[in-house]
Amino acid sequence: MTNASELFPQKRVTRLPGGYMGRILRVNLTTGSTKDENLPEEPLLRRFLGGQALATYILLGELPLQAKPYGTESKVVMMTGPITGTGFTPGGTKVTAVYLSPLTNYSLGRGASSGFWAVYLKAAGYDGIIIEGAAAKPTYLFINDGKAEFRDASRVWGKGARETEDLLKQEVGIKDAKVMCIGPAGEHLVHGAMLVNDYNNNAAHSGGAVFGSKKLKAIVVYGTARPRIHDRDKLIDAGQRWRKTLDVYSVDHRKSVGYARQLEALPNLNFRSTLIADHSRGFDQNRVVQRPCFQCARLCPWHVEIGEGPFRGKIGHFNGGAEWMDTFWNLGVKGNATLYLAERINDLGIECSHFAFGAGVMFEAWEKGLLGPEDTDGLRLEWGNVEVIDRLLDMAARREGKWGNLLAEGPVEVAQAIGGDAPKWIVHTKKGTPAMHDWRPHFGQMLRELVASGGMKPQGGGTANPPPDLKYREQWGPLDRDDPAGWPWSNVLAEQYRQFCGLTGGCWFAQMHLKPDGLNSIVDSLNATTGWNFTLDEGLVAGHRSVILQSIFGTQRGWIADHDWQNVGPRFLEPVPDGKYKGFTIAKWLPEMVYEYYRLSGRHEKSGRPFMDTLSRLGLEEFKEWAQRD
Amino acid sequence: MSEKYGSLIPTGRLLDGKPRTILFDASKCIGCRQCVHACKDWHDHPRTSVYELSSTNWITMEPPVLEGLSPLWGRNSCMHCEFPMCAAVCPVEAITKYEEGPVVISQEICIGCEYCIYACPWGVITKNDLTHKAAKCTMCSDRVSEDKNPFCVQACPVGALDFGLAEAISAKARKGAEENGGYLYGDKEAGGTQLLYVLKEKKGDYGVRPVGLERYPQHKIPLGLMLKDLFTLRCGFAGKIRALYLAVIHPKRLIYRYWPWRGVA
Repeated sequence: MTNASELFPQKRVTRLPGGYMGRILRVNLTTGSTKDENLPEEPLLRRFLGGQALATYILLGELPLQAKPYGTESKVVMMTGPITGTGFTPGGTKVTAVYLSPLTNYSLGRGASSGFWAVYLKAAGYDGIIIEGAAAKPTYLFINDGKAEFRDASRVWGKGARETEDLLKQEVGIKDAKVMCIGPAGEHLVHGAMLVNDYNNNAAHSGGAVFGSKKLKAIVVYGTARPRIHDRDKLIDAGQRWRKTLDVYSVDHRKSVGYARQLEALPNLNFRSTLIADHSRGFDQNRVVQRPCFQCARLCPWHVEIGEGPFRGKIGHFNGGAEWMDTFWNLGVKGNATLYLAERINDLGIECSHFAFGAGVMFEAWEKGLLGPEDTDGLRLEWGNVEVIDRLLDMAARREGKWGNLLAEGPVEVAQAIGGDAPKWIVHTKKGTPAMHDWRPHFGQMLRELVASGGMKPQGGGTANPPPDLKYREQWGPLDRDDPAGWPWSNVLAEQYRQFCGLTGGCWFAQMHLKPDGLNSIVDSLNATTGWNFTLDEGLVAGHRSVILQSIFGTQRGWIADHDWQNVGPRFLEPVPDGKYKGFTIAKWLPEMVYEYYRLSGRHEKSGRPFMDTLSRLGLEEFKEWAQRD
Repeated sequence: MSEKYGSLIPTGRLLDGKPRTILFDASKCIGCRQCVHACKDWHDHPRTSVYELSSTNWITMEPPVLEGLSPLWGRNSCMHCEFPMCAAVCPVEAITKYEEGPVVISQEICIGCEYCIYACPWGVITKNDLTHKAAKCTMCSDRVSEDKNPFCVQACPVGALDFGLAEAISAKARKGAEENGGYLYGDKEAGGTQLLYVLKEKKGDYGVRPVGLERYPQHKIPLGLMLKDLFTLRCGFAGKIRALYLAVIHPKRLIYRYWPWRGVA
């Protein structure tokens, strides 16, 4: 492993490829120091690109093995990629933060976000940030056109994400400044606390809690710089091609149940029914305005003004998925109360599935008589009780009382405290919570959730047919949705191209892998930006490299692949209870599907360690200590 | 062109001489500001504030609030007037009206006198603090000369911006206005422009200015500024010589500058 002084050269000896700003900001909250590091030399950049891979490579080199997620020795590394902020591609918006996950305590935690913040981090002159130490009092970091300074955050400590964003923009006096912050949940170390930026965007999966442990309330960025582009005309051409592949969200989509319709399953009553009914009642009367990320025409983010009912006039700010709605539908809420609560959870900064599965177990326990008013200080945990859920959100975000504290810990702790059969009703993977949808009817998505680190939203999922751009080398499919054959390889591939997109600084929600040119246009965008000559095959190798770094991080800290199917909330593996796919479960095919996934990705099926030839093929020999030896 | 303008303003041709128009349909605009950033991207401008017009920010979307958080949005940028007062008052003929529509300030010729800034009825010309020259939207004249649409137009993700031959865009705008019970803005203002807005509510609600219908509307160049230019070394010796020479060969142009209330056209 390259040490820090070798990784960040005092003086670059290789050219800086296009797209990069050339600097990483290292800040230490304990000492209050800030330091500019040069970006690694070109050969290393070509291997890891940016995003999760480059950030994880840095973290692997710097985070002590004995570090605790909330200890002062813990670090967060945030990285953009070369196409972030160039302005000519639809997806060049991404920043990825990595850290030791406080959900699992042993695997990689990752939060990634789009919007505008990453673009302005680069405009401020930096490709990424390494955050070290912990401050004694609430602090925020202000990076203004190449200059970084810590400032007192006591004025915004305790405030929700929206107000924090507004106040900090006022405080720095720059209307165009972009804010990434934590809500009360991050301050109180709710393990599933998010980073929230630009109103509509969130980096979920604990980054907010790690920020909170460092008393870092926010990072405010502003600058006017733009990265050098190797071949602007070619980038414009590739960006236009990319744009043509996009499936564009409509306003009408935001008045429906959303993604549950595609999955043909909507979570009800703590994953005990998948049926879609009148959940979106009243949505047709809402005013919806799409608020796309920087230069992206997919139109994922949206604002809503509720148009009817008791929450009429309330405003919400959301992004592409429907996780927020699924969160509260899972607790029996329907109609516009869902959107009201969704805005609340985002403002408080709690990852929705972290709350949904913990609260889900509590409500089920109430229904089944394991909990009564004497256990809950009088809170009546009846399905769909908006007032109680609203209260629980506040309690969770601030660890108020026994149940607030347990919800902050996570669904496993909630179930253990309830006792009885409650541990059977949990949904989790290695104590992390899957993105809040009911994935159970689908092989690809379920496998993806199981083999992820547990501390992040996984990538992959696979497709029934290979992406059109990969047909030159992948000839299989259509896969049978009821037959596991082929799904592990499909997931391996999907994970690689999704990862690759993120490493370039692209948003995988803008990656339309099922469209012709959906992958090639991203490869060409990368090449036009940097001056490299990546092929799609090399892009997949880069994605694979990132996946292996992710699992090495876990291996170093005690994770083994067997945990992927052994340490899973039982409810997640129950057969689909009703609806079109009633009775379907991946559990029948475990652990074989997980084993096959690991074999196909060059790792040992039980330990998850990469084989030596995998490391050699990926140029990761420096990690041979963590390879599978037999 | 020469019949229409005589020597009043410099004219030119970029492509085929056919006039073109940008359409802004406010009913479709979501206030995402992708047009604003696209403008910066194409012209390689630094990421300066998107909330105010500047030499490196040629479009603002009004009101100046976060993207999407207003029910109505107005585009604020050069209207590419058919009878551009900015060009008429420029003492060094740095501003050209092209047959295809663009009104373009030559950075090489501009001497930074600021007359155009005060003359523009829309208030959309700014001065570059470093070069001291005037700057504004060019309608992407470089792209128009290659028969491409302005970069802001191609960037709009919801089809609120369109671009094409003037007649076609005019017909489309009228149809759009009819369909939503709205009206056109920019078709008659200042004698007509090559930006057409489809609006529905009051102009002020979109942050657009109520501009009169007369061609070459009366300018508001401060007298002190004009006197300074005449009697001090401001704007440089070479600029003054050029202005003097042009005053001699195109004397009619002086009318708009010094007797703005005595319109000719």
